[in-house]
Amino acid sequence: MLEATDLTKSYNGHLALDRLNLAVRPGEIFCLLGANGAGKTTTINLFLNFIRPSSGSARIKGLDVVEHPLETKRHLAYIPEQVNLYRNLTGLENLAYFAALAGHREHATAGFLELLAQAGLTEEAARKRVSTYSKGMRQKVGIAIAAAKQAEVLLLDEPTSGLDPKASNEFSELLVRLRDRGVAVLMATHDLFRAKETGTRVGIMKRGRMVALLDTAEVGHADLERIYLDHMHD
Amino acid sequence: MLARIMRHEARVLAADRSLWALAGLLAAVVAYGALNGASWAETRRAALEAAAAEEAARFDELRRRLGSPGDAIGVGALEVGRSSGARYAAMPPGLLAALVVGQSDLLPSYVKVTTDGRQSLDGADEIENPTHLLTGRFDLGFVIVVLYPLAILALSFDLLSAEKERGTLALVLSQPVSLRQVVLGKVLLRGLLVVGLAVAISMVGLAVGGGASGPGVLARAGLWMAVVAAYGAFWFALAVAVNAMGRGSSANALILAGIWLALVAVVPALVNVAVKAVHPVPSRAELVQALREASDEAQAEGSRLKARYFEDHPELAGGDVDADEYAVQALAVQEAVEASVRDIQGRFEAQLARQQAMVDRLRFLSPAIVTVEALQDVAGTGAARARHFAGQVEAFHESYRAFFRPRILRAEPIGPKDLDAIPAFTFREEPLPGVAGRVALGLAGLVLPAVLVGAVGRKALGRYPIVG
Repeated sequence: MLEATDLTKSYNGHLALDRLNLAVRPGEIFCLLGANGAGKTTTINLFLNFIRPSSGSARIKGLDVVEHPLETKRHLAYIPEQVNLYRNLTGLENLAYFAALAGHREHATAGFLELLAQAGLTEEAARKRVSTYSKGMRQKVGIAIAAAKQAEVLLLDEPTSGLDPKASNEFSELLVRLRDRGVAVLMATHDLFRAKETGTRVGIMKRGRMVALLDTAEVGHADLERIYLDHMHD
Repeated sequence: MLARIMRHEARVLAADRSLWALAGLLAAVVAYGALNGASWAETRRAALEAAAAEEAARFDELRRRLGSPGDAIGVGALEVGRSSGARYAAMPPGLLAALVVGQSDLLPSYVKVTTDGRQSLDGADEIENPTHLLTGRFDLGFVIVVLYPLAILALSFDLLSAEKERGTLALVLSQPVSLRQVVLGKVLLRGLLVVGLAVAISMVGLAVGGGASGPGVLARAGLWMAVVAAYGAFWFALAVAVNAMGRGSSANALILAGIWLALVAVVPALVNVAVKAVHPVPSRAELVQALREASDEAQAEGSRLKARYFEDHPELAGGDVDADEYAVQALAVQEAVEASVRDIQGRFEAQLARQQAMVDRLRFLSPAIVTVEALQDVAGTGAARARHFAGQVEAFHESYRAFFRPRILRAEPIGPKDLDAIPAFTFREEPLPGVAGRVALGLAGLVLPAVLVGAVGRKALGRYPIVG
């Protein structure tokens, strides 16, 4: 579903991503762990075709994202660390616009409100301007936008950073529901606990390279943390 | 997809209160400009009417005199030709004159034609560089050339940079839509708004200004809209190109303001300076001085000139023709003066023509100059129509003199039946195809840069840094 082959990105000789090989299958949540600057966001941006790979390729459903930028985006949904919306519009209006861009016109207002409610936003809040929203509320609109798209691939860039534990927990439950529906999820995160809880596999990245690949079912919480810190130390 | 992006942009713009304030300000400025232009056109119409009324009263008076028993044999041709029978040659305000004052406040729109020499026709006819308008009257033309680009830039200097800075761009482009499509949607919506507003306001100005009737008005209104749309397209293309370079909103604003200043103010001023430096017009004082000297000289030699005139025109001397000696001398003096100033006057006019030709070429350096010239041309307040008028006046002056000259020489008085035969001036409007041809050239001078800048912007969008 999601596939990186020798994916490499360098900026003026500096390797931001070094020959990444990765495959995320449907129904799998792949968590990218690593310090800031390890190449997690670079990987996500490469899959989004926001930046061009220096070599190698990123594929979604077998399609190269550089050669098929629009087609591959039909299949993916993206939630960034900061869901930035049109501040002068309401959450509902924002959702309606992004859903329209995604090509989903079938939702009526009731459908959009339902999606927002599922993401945890009340109708009263949904009808307020986004400029009055907290970060968590904007994140919920982002989730609703992704849900409206009914995408088969989900790209998440530290989606829970800054969320309170309850919201973070709700988000994890949502991810599990999507996974069970067969969505392939690639998530960059700092949250080892969530990665272990919800992830199927975990990749630890360091200076642009994938240094470890683990099955979450095979490691305990403590093991994961130890392995992670071991890699960070040397 | 494009329609969705446009609808969304409309919603976002409508939700921005500061834009409503801007729109209100623009509407006020435009209304002021339209009112100004309309009142100027009205003033001109009134001046022409006053001249026509003065002429009619003079002719009535003449007719009364000719009808009275004392003057039964008629009034001297010289007197009628020089004063009481003088005709006004008038150019009515241009068809869309209410929109642009143009050079109509610098060039005479009516001339009193008598049997006096050609130099009597010259009022203050130094052709001001068309760029003069830029510091000229606050009319709709000024609003369109100077303020309309500012409105466009205010709406689109942060077309992309704002989306990037606010972080919405990444979310938008994670959808199956290309950056070029997004930009196109944004530009089209803004274009529809601003260009539509400018065109609508122009038409309201035209309706309010009045005087817009007769053949060709619709065609001219169409040309006007085309020029306004093409000029707007250039500024939008520029905003896109600058945005596509990937700099921040404040940098974009500075760059675009700089370009605006250069194209709207600096380049026109430089063109003005260059034209005056390359083809300096001889000073008007020199012309006036030469005229006085020639006149004094000719007056002093009056009797000698008269004698020579009789030599040159043997048919006048003796025979059955009763020549008016005073009239012959006046005519001889007049022709001598004309001959001696013809050279300097010719140089003066040739130089003005060269200036105009140079402006016609250099205008393509700035879309603002192209637009000024094209709008004036369409409105009928530009240099071309004034030249067209001057040519007609000259021809009329000739025919007017041709009517009086033999009568003056033969001392034939003007009788009641001659009165209606005195030539009168009728202005022939410039044929539309000529105007359309010139405006089309100007349009090309707007569309071409717009397409070029747009293509550069389109190419740069391909390398636009969406993140980082």
